[in-house]
Amino acid sequence: MNTRDERISFDVIVVGAGLAGPAAAMVAARAGLNVALIERGQKPGGKNYFGGAIYTHAIEELIPDFMNRRPPFERPVTEAGFWFLSEDGLTRMTVQGGKLANQPADAYTTLRASFDLWWTEQAQKEGVFLIPKTTVVDFIREADGQVIGVKTDRPQGDIYAPVVIICEGVNNLLTQKLGLIEHDLEPAHLALGVKQVISLPPETINARFGLPDNDHGLAVSVLGDVSLGLPGMGFVYTNSKTLSVGLGVMLSTLAEYKLKPYEVLQRYLQHPVIAPLVAGGQLLEYGGHLIPEGGYRDMPKLYTGGALVAGDAAAMVNALHWEGTNMAIIAGKLAGETAIEAHGRGDFSSKVMVGYEERLKESFILPDLKQYRGFSHFLDTHPEFMGTYPAFLNDALGDFFSAYGRPKMQLFKGMLGSLTGRRSLPRAAGDIISMGRAVLGW
Amino acid sequence: MKRNDGFEAKELPAVVQETLPDVYVDDLLVSIKYFIDEEQPHLWIKDHALCARCHHKPCLDFCPVGVYTLAHDGKIQVAYQACVECGSCRVGCPYSNIGWQLPRGGYGVAYKFG
Repeated sequence: MNTRDERISFDVIVVGAGLAGPAAAMVAARAGLNVALIERGQKPGGKNYFGGAIYTHAIEELIPDFMNRRPPFERPVTEAGFWFLSEDGLTRMTVQGGKLANQPADAYTTLRASFDLWWTEQAQKEGVFLIPKTTVVDFIREADGQVIGVKTDRPQGDIYAPVVIICEGVNNLLTQKLGLIEHDLEPAHLALGVKQVISLPPETINARFGLPDNDHGLAVSVLGDVSLGLPGMGFVYTNSKTLSVGLGVMLSTLAEYKLKPYEVLQRYLQHPVIAPLVAGGQLLEYGGHLIPEGGYRDMPKLYTGGALVAGDAAAMVNALHWEGTNMAIIAGKLAGETAIEAHGRGDFSSKVMVGYEERLKESFILPDLKQYRGFSHFLDTHPEFMGTYPAFLNDALGDFFSAYGRPKMQLFKGMLGSLTGRRSLPRAAGDIISMGRAVLGW
Repeated sequence: MKRNDGFEAKELPAVVQETLPDVYVDDLLVSIKYFIDEEQPHLWIKDHALCARCHHKPCLDFCPVGVYTLAHDGKIQVAYQACVECGSCRVGCPYSNIGWQLPRGGYGVAYKFG
């Protein structure tokens, strides 16, 4: 038994060097606190896999001069939007220029192995002590439940701190250990994302995606045939010398239809319109990750005496807007601020920790998650948005811009028929209203 | 209709099902970097008898790296070395019959790109 003096102790322990963790650690260390950041991977970023893009508004809140610190961004997102895929066609709805031309850009395509490493280095510059290759397996708690440290898988691996910030990611084992959530997240609320990072020369990427140069980039959500019309979404992100192409499908859907995610991804890559975009590319990396798309409805209690939860572990994801990385960073910051307040007051009980939730309510995070709380369920119950409508859109536009030497009225009737043959007008109207309600949170 | 594993029994139209290509998952796995813990598997089947009663065995399908395969004797085999620690089997096994831990610190998947 260690005496108090022999204990390894810090002012704050942060578990997980993803996006939320280094943010929390950075903020706390900047206020002069002694912070340990524990990461189970060989180095930060090695366990993380995403689309994806990083939003600068979140980075800037922590590091106003971030661009001077050469973040390992791939390309600015100068074109963004939706692609609607039918069985053999594609309708694009993307925006460029305007706000997408901001400098620095509002979003940058990114790869997590390099970004998370840089992000953690920024925390280390503030004095954060990184402890890699170390898995946290449990907590050290007082008799009354107050968290006072963590147990790691290292010999004599107990580490003490009056505040532990849990940024463990979607596999919320520690959050469950504290009883902040009673059960595992359900397969119907978890999207399994799989992605291939595909190498192509930058000039080939530019030519294929209509990008003027390497300082332009595309980020799109792909709906429709990509997920076989089932609840799910695909994506394409252009990186500097690679493409990130992947898709997410609900875990329950994969189980119900007995689908192998890598076959669904391969089918997407072989789609007649997608295949030429990735042709000749070399697979650099394949991987998968779960996304807690349940959001608000799957949130654990966010605090207890001596502990706070941020990021994917707290289901902070807004699936429709591809937000999650920014929520993790801001939630981490707010958790760090709460840790500072607790140290200032010398009170680490729930009475101070609840301030974290208050801060989240004042930010965009809890209001957005609350507003979109029905969206995941909406997608699950309205597969038409992944099947019928993308197919209809492609047919209708295809007809509209084709000359068949037939009277136009006949054409419009045909277009209407191609919708009503798939979905009756009252039902289609109902679908639109349901979508509105899911987005507005009514 | 519920299957005996609790998931709804759903089927794609045959014409759609036919469009799914066969993929040899090992071709994908070679792109992933791992630090394999040879001593301590972090995944295991708790009770093989329970798997025998699970008709559909969804773990054989949804695992993104094909960790779970059926051996000749009908038992599920677990190639934990290929695991990317996504957690799908942890929450997706209808009988909660898969033992799932995080690999020891430093071991497991180590994405090069992410």
